Amino acid sequence: MGVERTYGEVATRARQSLRDVERGAGARKPNPILTADNIRREFGGIIAVDVDHFEVQEGSITALIGPNGAGKTTFFNLLTGFDQPNSGTWTFQGKDMSKVASHRTAALGMVRTFQLTKSLTKLSVIENMRLGATDQKGEKWWNGLFSAVWKGQEDEITERSDELLTRFQMGHMRDEYAGALSGGQRKLLEMARALMTNPTLVMLDEPMAGVNPALKQSLNEHIRGLRDQGMTVLFVEHDMDMVHDVSDWVIVMAEGRIIAEGTPDDIAKNSAVIDAYLGTRQGQSLLEEE
Amino acid sequence: MEVSIGKTMGRRCLVVLIALGSVLGFSFGTAKAAEDGYSIRTQVRDQVRTTDGKADNQPLPGVEITVTDASGEIVGVGITDADGVVIVSVPSRADYTVSLNEETLPTGKKLDARTTAVQKILTDSFITKTKVVTYFTGESQTVSQSGFERVAQRVSDGIRLGLILAMCSVGLSLIFGTTGLTNFAHGEMVTFGGIATFVFNVTGLTFLGSLSFIPGIHPDGTFHIFWAAPLGIILGGGFGWALNKRIFGPLRRRGVGLLTQMVLTVGLSIALRNFFLSRFEGRTRPFSDFSLQRSWDLGPVNITPRDFVVSILSLLILIVTALGLRFTRLGKATRAVSDNPDLASATGIDSEKVIRLVWIIGGALAATGGVFRGLDEQVSFDMGGRLLFLLFAGITLGGLGSAFGALVGGFVVGVMVEVSSLVVPTELKSAPALLVLILVLLLRPQGILGRAQRVG
Amino acid sequence: MDWNLILENSLKGFVGINAVYFAIAALGLNVQFGYTGLLNFGQAGFMACGAYGLGMTAHYFDISFWWGIPLGILFSVVLGLLMGIPTLRLRADYLAIVTIATAEIVRLVVRSVKFKTYFGGSDGINGFSSSFRSLGNDFGIEESDQYGFWPFKFTGRELWVLIVGWLIVAIFGFVVYKLMKSPWGRVLKAIREDEDAVKSLGKNVYSYKMQSLILGGVIGTVSGMIFALDRGSVQPDNYSRDLTFYILTALVLGGVAKVSGSIVGSMMFWGLFTFMDNFLRQVAKDPVSIGNVTIMKSTQVGQLNFILIGITLILLMVYRPQGVFGNRKEMAFDGR
Repeated sequence: MGVERTYGEVATRARQSLRDVERGAGARKPNPILTADNIRREFGGIIAVDVDHFEVQEGSITALIGPNGAGKTTFFNLLTGFDQPNSGTWTFQGKDMSKVASHRTAALGMVRTFQLTKSLTKLSVIENMRLGATDQKGEKWWNGLFSAVWKGQEDEITERSDELLTRFQMGHMRDEYAGALSGGQRKLLEMARALMTNPTLVMLDEPMAGVNPALKQSLNEHIRGLRDQGMTVLFVEHDMDMVHDVSDWVIVMAEGRIIAEGTPDDIAKNSAVIDAYLGTRQGQSLLEEE
Repeated sequence: MEVSIGKTMGRRCLVVLIALGSVLGFSFGTAKAAEDGYSIRTQVRDQVRTTDGKADNQPLPGVEITVTDASGEIVGVGITDADGVVIVSVPSRADYTVSLNEETLPTGKKLDARTTAVQKILTDSFITKTKVVTYFTGESQTVSQSGFERVAQRVSDGIRLGLILAMCSVGLSLIFGTTGLTNFAHGEMVTFGGIATFVFNVTGLTFLGSLSFIPGIHPDGTFHIFWAAPLGIILGGGFGWALNKRIFGPLRRRGVGLLTQMVLTVGLSIALRNFFLSRFEGRTRPFSDFSLQRSWDLGPVNITPRDFVVSILSLLILIVTALGLRFTRLGKATRAVSDNPDLASATGIDSEKVIRLVWIIGGALAATGGVFRGLDEQVSFDMGGRLLFLLFAGITLGGLGSAFGALVGGFVVGVMVEVSSLVVPTELKSAPALLVLILVLLLRPQGILGRAQRVG
Repeated sequence: MDWNLILENSLKGFVGINAVYFAIAALGLNVQFGYTGLLNFGQAGFMACGAYGLGMTAHYFDISFWWGIPLGILFSVVLGLLMGIPTLRLRADYLAIVTIATAEIVRLVVRSVKFKTYFGGSDGINGFSSSFRSLGNDFGIEESDQYGFWPFKFTGRELWVLIVGWLIVAIFGFVVYKLMKSPWGRVLKAIREDEDAVKSLGKNVYSYKMQSLILGGVIGTVSGMIFALDRGSVQPDNYSRDLTFYILTALVLGGVAKVSGSIVGSMMFWGLFTFMDNFLRQVAKDPVSIGNVTIMKSTQVGQLNFILIGITLILLMVYRPQGVFGNRKEMAFDGR
């Protein structure tokens, strides 16, 4: 906590746009890129998610925090089409996403990573990266046979992949099977791979989990870098220091509902939030977000 | 890859005979005997019941009879006259084959079960110059019964099949639920029950002949079905236990993936089927007891006493199984592990113990299904394998992983298969079950009682 | 013990027509199962499509035999769609169940009396391969002449089918190899391991799975055509679930996700099978017994061989699931 930051232009703009937003659950933002209304998800009588209103400011880094079992990952799944809510609507860049399949949300620019990393261990690191690129001609079966058609594009993709890998300091691992990477490196790989899709909104599910402290710092740098490049970042995290360090805005969930919103400083002082964390009943953490 | 060549060959011979005949042309028989030659006089008589229930025989005209000689060449073809008689001249005293063309039987009539369409006449049977051959026909079920009777009969058959399928499916569904494994050798576990019982009942184990002082055990080492069946079922349970202990348990603990285990069950299925085939051979064979019985007439439905008892027994077993699953501690633990393995082990249930139980009970139930099926349809090397896809349809319909789902789904599939034979030719009666399977997967993939999360 | 005969037949088995049609079918199955992780247990159904496509052109449609090829392919595309549409969004087990069931229904329908006019019933369809064989004559191969050298002695008829067959194996082998090295193949391999990861990258997993299923099915269809051409007839009972299982065995033996695995696995399968078959027949000329119990009569040799196949598959899965040529690290078998 309290590392001095000099904010770049983009960061300043992000914080300024949020300056006048009310501090409360379901706060309206000046330029929301993602909005959700009345999202409800039940599992056999247990209400996992019950969000009245939710907005993410474009171009900002927003953290979604809350105790275990608050419904954060379920909420992610619902927004990205990996799960269906019992009711509710949500939009991305103004487009209604309620009926959109998971692969389509990604194609539209809303890309997510997973809490349990899904790096494809049977493929090499560079192949993982190449997979991320969109609109690949070679991925059409009628083109597959004719390498002349897709070779050029493949070379471009490889270049971009190598660039990203270098940026994430994984260039030397490029030809290893992803299965040979450590947990933290796999997280980085998954993030780098997601970036290959040139997303507009990057949704990271616990990007710091299992990552060693040194790597956490550089991870934060990368996340800032994403915002500075114009992407919006929404991430779920437990590590409050990191959250405080990097986010422009914090949204707090507990028991499936949003209980507070504000800047990192606001949240640190918010008693309701402190209650939610400290006052968590023992048995509740058994409800694992599915 | 023809494993049962015999059947195809036999049928092909018959077709070749008839084909040759139609190519080579034929002569028509007349109703008058040939003057000085030999002839075969064929009569077709239809067995009917008069209104007071007495049997009577009526001539059946218009039926086509073909006579071929030993080399397969057609000697003559004729149609029965108003007296139900046709006389075909034959050139000499020799071997002949007389065939009745069943397609020329009037609708609603079929050959009596004791008469075959093809009859061989040997040279020596020409005691006089005319050999008489008689065919008996009787009412075929499809018309003599009213619509309601037909449906009722089919439903009754369906219930019988459904009960057996339900019994066999429980194990399959629970194995999937508790371990995630789709067991492609489950059909063979059913067959195992039938064949093991057969070994006790028909083949006999000579070294056990000394036990013949026990009623029901014979000196040649064969056991009455009342002994043989429970023994077969116990062995079936033991088989399940052994499979888990020796193969699937160790693989699970080694962390071997499900795909690998599934392919392994394929290998197991191949090995077992062919083992059964090699020892049991290709034909179906009945148990020694209760195989030939006359049906009872229970209102609109015909059922043999044996099948009736088997159905009651099946129902009882299913009820006991269902009650056990619902109310006993072990039953509840089984359902817990099957529905949600992670949660179950978190609450301290010993999953391995449950899995062991599932394999034992699943094996025993499958074996029971095999014994009952063998009582109904005789024992064959393939009796369970043939049901495999129906079992899958049943547990999918009921919900993969749900024991109650297996009971319901298996039962529904059984009834569906038999009832659909009212509208679909018998040889294709499994087809509607497949269509239902596809529909279920399109509309409600988790089946009737399954969990949606399981699905994909 | 006639070792000469055993050896000759075994070596012929390695390269014979059975190895050929197995190799083609295994290539198709490899695309679906080895590369994409789709459990297609109905490959025999696809093969039947090809065989009946060819057979029906003569028997029912009375058009030139060569139309049978697109017809068979059409059948297999339809079958693939029928199987895939309900199941590809669901777990792999469901595809396995539906494919087994569908292939069985295909077999029941083509052998039924009801559709006998179309499919020839249980006798199947015969005598449609004459145009194929005369093509061989045009290439200068006389049907009844003997060609080759010991142990590879074949009649002209056999040789022609073998040449065409191996050519097709080579072509499909090449095609599959190139496809799997392309970005398209990369997507399939990723799907095999983790569908959600691929979906999260914006790719339509359902569509790719369907493409894989159909491509593998079409290749299987061609295998069925070669099989039927060699026999000169189509018999419904040949296309049973057992056939799919045996092809799976050959595939796993050679190694999944490797083109060489499909081809070499099939050759090994048939070489070994022929060897065991010949060997056991010689051993069992007189029934083999231990004490009073007859272990093996000559009529049981066939089944004993198949038992061995089953046991081989089991042992492979326990000790070497990647097969002979497979790469353990690349094998997405484990940890499903």
